[in-house]
Amino acid sequence: MDRTLTHFIAALRNAEVRISPAETLDAMNAVELVGYRDRAFLKDSLALVLPKTADEKETFDTTFDQFFSFEDVAGQSVAVEGDGDGEDGEGGGEGQGEDLGGGKGSGAKGKKSKFGAIEEEEEEDLGPGAMADPRSALGRLLMQEGTTELTVRMAEAAKEADLTEIQVFTQKGLYTRKVMDAMGLADLVAEIGELRASPHIPERRLAQELKRRRDWLRELVRDYVERQFLLHADATGRRLREDLLQKVKLSNVEHRNFRLIQEIVLRMAKKLAALHSRRRKVFKRGQLHVSRTLRHNMSYDGSIFDLHWKSVKVDRPKVFAICDVSGSVAAYARFMLMFLYSLEEVMPKVRSFAFSSDLAEVTELFERNKIEDAIAKTLRDYSGGSTDYGQAFQDFRKLCMDEVDNRTTIIILGDARNNYGDPRTDIVKEMYDRSKRVIWLNPESRNTWNVGDAEMRKYSAYVHQAQECNSLMHLNRIVGNLLRSVA
Amino acid sequence: MADIEQLAASVDSLKDSFEAHRYICSNQIATAVYLAFHLRKPVLIEGPPGVGKTELAKTTAEMFALPLIRLQCYEGLDEAKAIYEWKYGKQLLYTQVLKETLDEVLQGAQGFAESVTRLHEFGDIFFSEEFLEPRPLLKALREEDGCVLLLDEVDKSDHEFESLLLEILSDFQVSIPEIGTVKAHREPPIVFLTSNNTREISDALKRRCLHLYIPFPDADLEQRIIHARVPDIPPELRRQLVAFIQDLRDLDLKKVPAISETIDWARTLLLLHTESLDPELVRDTLNVILKFQEDIENVDAEIATLTNKAVRADGIGPKVRP
Repeated sequence: MDRTLTHFIAALRNAEVRISPAETLDAMNAVELVGYRDRAFLKDSLALVLPKTADEKETFDTTFDQFFSFEDVAGQSVAVEGDGDGEDGEGGGEGQGEDLGGGKGSGAKGKKSKFGAIEEEEEEDLGPGAMADPRSALGRLLMQEGTTELTVRMAEAAKEADLTEIQVFTQKGLYTRKVMDAMGLADLVAEIGELRASPHIPERRLAQELKRRRDWLRELVRDYVERQFLLHADATGRRLREDLLQKVKLSNVEHRNFRLIQEIVLRMAKKLAALHSRRRKVFKRGQLHVSRTLRHNMSYDGSIFDLHWKSVKVDRPKVFAICDVSGSVAAYARFMLMFLYSLEEVMPKVRSFAFSSDLAEVTELFERNKIEDAIAKTLRDYSGGSTDYGQAFQDFRKLCMDEVDNRTTIIILGDARNNYGDPRTDIVKEMYDRSKRVIWLNPESRNTWNVGDAEMRKYSAYVHQAQECNSLMHLNRIVGNLLRSVA
Repeated sequence: MADIEQLAASVDSLKDSFEAHRYICSNQIATAVYLAFHLRKPVLIEGPPGVGKTELAKTTAEMFALPLIRLQCYEGLDEAKAIYEWKYGKQLLYTQVLKETLDEVLQGAQGFAESVTRLHEFGDIFFSEEFLEPRPLLKALREEDGCVLLLDEVDKSDHEFESLLLEILSDFQVSIPEIGTVKAHREPPIVFLTSNNTREISDALKRRCLHLYIPFPDADLEQRIIHARVPDIPPELRRQLVAFIQDLRDLDLKKVPAISETIDWARTLLLLHTESLDPELVRDTLNVILKFQEDIENVDAEIATLTNKAVRADGIGPKVRP
């Protein structure tokens, strides 16, 4: 039983739900209390113990349904046969009516009688009646009413067959066979052979039934293997792809991977913000805050009871981000905006600006729209003109230079290609003087920074840091450093 | 205690008893309380504001007939306010009194060593239970028959405070350096933490809790909630207003109306002797459900459509009731 659970947890981890060993233990306790009998109850319970955010809950939902879906499969296959039967005999409408009337409670009974009907059709000579009891372990499992234990046995067999190792889809047949073998197929086949040869009718009847159920089991196992393949192999592949995407140049990312990149970016931004967004107090260890201590101890008649130490409050960084969205950086602009958007989502004090020639604030646009819309709108509204850094900086000065103070970090994303216009380095110098840090992230590689109309050499005199930034890895590292040094 | 065991015997009995206390809950919520009781784990409740997170803790306390100890979290909350504090004033007073009797105490003491030993006895007295001012968390641990402990809006507190909670949440104990470890009595408290998600709760805290997410209820559940809270409202109006609110939640609003707002609105409409929704009435009472002028202006244009839809949708779709 526990193995099934650990297995399920492995699948969840694959689907990027973070589960610690402690939570695994909790889940085991919960399962011990709740049991595997009631599926909805089990799901509710595990949903409380394992996933810990709204997103994770969604993932949990789908994973749970995929993982523990045998019961439904079993119910369906039986039901389908039963329905067909009913229609043959008495017409669809009546069959349905019967089902509705029967309701949930008599579901099991209905199943039984339908099995009986099938038997009659196939082999008239045996007729309904008592069946012998199966002897092999698998046979007994198959003849049971519920499928829960069979399911558990199947999961255990899958474990024995190392199903989680499955890598490519061509292995599905092989693993199906392996799982069946591990469940004791050999014994069952032998038993069916013996029973067939038996002179007693109940035993022959059992042989037929066992054979039918064996085929049904094979279907079940195949489905199961299929799902496991999706659960395990898919995630491995995904991780590989993500690793690759982190390193690849952003301009080379294919369109179909945009979604994935978006997720990576958001996750990255979240992680960075979680690490650095808190407002902290740094205590200067051992330095007594004399005046405050005296003040606070006045009420104790001047006896110094309550000591106060010197501390410095570290504020959350205030970030102004200016993003070039002109034609020359079109391939990167998307990702830069994506990152800006994500950053804004997770950090309270980010103001974003976009420009190609004229600069405008897009903070509110980002706040009000979904990421795709926001990026599309920004690109639509601002990416038209030819690049003019001078104009953009002038706009920036007009718009919010007053709000730049010594706790502000300014990030400029762009290639500094100014079409031979006036670079207005004086404004950049002003930013440099007023702010805590100015950081320039350039998507081009360092050796083309000063080729052609690029003005990077002039600008780099007035920034604290100029960095090449054209892959997610760069972005992650730079922003991580940035937040650390700001905090 | 036996009563509680009986109540918490199964999820269904919990659900019924919640209902008897006018708290209509989904299976998920009842399961959370069930597991919290049996596994002895705290429950971290998240969800949009006004879906009944705090109410769940209150009702649980009421249902189990246990005292509710509530700690409202805010920025700057620390252990002196949450766990315990020494009664400085009293300590000071006693020192003054002792000063005068010091001679008596030390009388006949043979040399310095013995004097110090005698003084040490006082020191221990000063940092004993006598001078300990228990705050909510310590109080909760000391309740004889258990209690319900509610840490409200834990996301408002600082990171440091979260770490402070870890010990009490995982082991139901607090360590006080001068006294030692205080453990929960026979029955550990049932702990609820609520969070509005203004910031991420740390993984360490989440790991120690069951995590319950309460979303906005579906139409059916919301109708039952209104029925339980505002029993006098006519069924038809109830259906209409719930349908209206449900549609409103799909709009792009700054602050989406929660259950508490639905209840307020139901009460308002009842007060105005309303039989059925009409656009004029909705416009006049919109400020009960929407709390931002911007939202009210945005919705204004849609009122007629939404109202008609709510009035007309005569038990179609998910609003079907048997």
